[in-house]
Amino acid sequence: MTRLRAQNIKAGYGPCDVIADLSVAAEPGQLIALIGPNGSGKSTLIKALAGLLPIRSGGIYLDDMNMVDIPVRLRAKRMAYLAQERLAQAVMTVREILELGRAPYRGRLGQISDAGEAAINRAVEAAQLRDFLPRKFGQLSGGEQARVLMGRALAVDADILLADEPIAALDPYYQIAMMDILKAEAARGKTVITALHDLSLAHQYADIVWVMDEGELKHMGDASRVLTPEVLKSVFRLTAQNFEKLFFWN
Amino acid sequence: MRGLLLLAALLACLFVSVMIGEAPVKLAEGFQALLGQGSDLNRQIIWELRLPRALLAIIIGAGLGASGAALQGYTRNELAAPGILGFSACAALGAVLALYFGLSGWVTPAALLGAALGALLILAMTGLKKGSDVLILAGVGIGALATAVTGLVMNFAPNPWALSEIIYWMMGSLRHADMGALFIAGPLTALGLSCLWFIGKDLKTLSLGEVTAQSLGVSLGRVQIILVAGVALCVGSGVAIAGAIGFVGLFVPHIIRMMFGADPAKLILRSALGGGLFLLLADIAVRLMSGPGTTLYLGILTSLIGVPFFLWLVVREVRS
Repeated sequence: MTRLRAQNIKAGYGPCDVIADLSVAAEPGQLIALIGPNGSGKSTLIKALAGLLPIRSGGIYLDDMNMVDIPVRLRAKRMAYLAQERLAQAVMTVREILELGRAPYRGRLGQISDAGEAAINRAVEAAQLRDFLPRKFGQLSGGEQARVLMGRALAVDADILLADEPIAALDPYYQIAMMDILKAEAARGKTVITALHDLSLAHQYADIVWVMDEGELKHMGDASRVLTPEVLKSVFRLTAQNFEKLFFWN
Repeated sequence: MRGLLLLAALLACLFVSVMIGEAPVKLAEGFQALLGQGSDLNRQIIWELRLPRALLAIIIGAGLGASGAALQGYTRNELAAPGILGFSACAALGAVLALYFGLSGWVTPAALLGAALGALLILAMTGLKKGSDVLILAGVGIGALATAVTGLVMNFAPNPWALSEIIYWMMGSLRHADMGALFIAGPLTALGLSCLWFIGKDLKTLSLGEVTAQSLGVSLGRVQIILVAGVALCVGSGVAIAGAIGFVGLFVPHIIRMMFGADPAKLILRSALGGGLFLLLADIAVRLMSGPGTTLYLGILTSLIGVPFFLWLVVREVRS
């Protein structure tokens, strides 16, 4: 199990730094919800933590290993990343897509090992994909596609799972299904970090909430402690009236 | 299994291609010559004319088909073809320059040099940022420039003979095929195909998007360099020997995809086999249809017979 830590990192695109001087740590077994307004830097942080966006200063550490010293292939085995865009070839079968999760373990001619088969099987069970295996990706509904790609990320069986808004544009049934999967992964001792826009699901599921705004982590801690009306109103720039509309049931 | 089917068809057509031609060599005589027996003349016709030509058709078609499949996989765009990286245009420019200066013997090396320079230029530009969008833009730009300069060269062609030489060369043909050409195109294409085969698995992973593929250990920069090298080797050597041959790189991967499935990794070798088979068939047709005084050009025929077949497949696909 792996602890993921970022220290004074700076990252961005082109001339702009999206996140500057950010430090944070994620412990194994935690489900961490990363919330914040659009454009606050959630996706950038997730990509940087996953090693997919070069950081401009500072360091990211897996336990005590600096990310820049870890070979790409090894990093790919230790960290799984689930992109916000749900891309896959429409004609590929679900089974083929899940197999891609084992890419870091396979050579040019390599077959999937027994451990790989076990990881795929576990992903199939966790994401409830048994009945979908022979189906083509293009024939599935949006929610089913999301679950398949989640299964692909689980098939990596990495210690750390970083998911960028995995429940965006899903109906409540699939939102809950996806959050259940993430929760179960955390319960297995994985470090799970997910960007979310649904604050009530963040409240329900997350052990820890990171609140991001303007490239900084403004608040961190237990969901019940962080997700207060004051924090939400200030970060999401909500008036008292808007707040009532959003959380009318509270 | 399906790959074996293509391979069997390819070998059968290779045999047919070697057995037919203008020179009256009977089937039994041709077979004898193939085994190294019979008259010297027959052996020369089979071994020094027909076999190199047929093998070159396969090699060049294979290079074009595999290049198209790899590019379509890398860019995740089914309209990508070897032409979009501009190598054919760069190779053509090299060849046209050689023809312009009356250096017919230098057409092949000049075309190879053109393709190599095009590849270096593209790699220099994509060094700025990795990703298929930059690759396509750089390729299209460089190709357009090479085409414009080619036009300029034709504009200033010293005499009508040079101009017609250039135009005929651009229509594509295997009439200059010989052992020498085979020894140039064979190894270069083999190297190019190995490059493309090597990145096949990565192309499959790339179907999940560039960022996800990177998270699975795919190095975009490395894939891009190997891809550019592979396509430049295949297309450069093909254009250098046979001139501009359309259709194969764009449509053969589609046909293979519709008939055999879309796995980007398997598609590369299957498209190589399919491209080789297709160009061999087209060359057989060219040789059968060309008589004394009329020469049909391969580049024209590939599109003439390829496109209707492709459209038929599209109609079948849409109906189902």
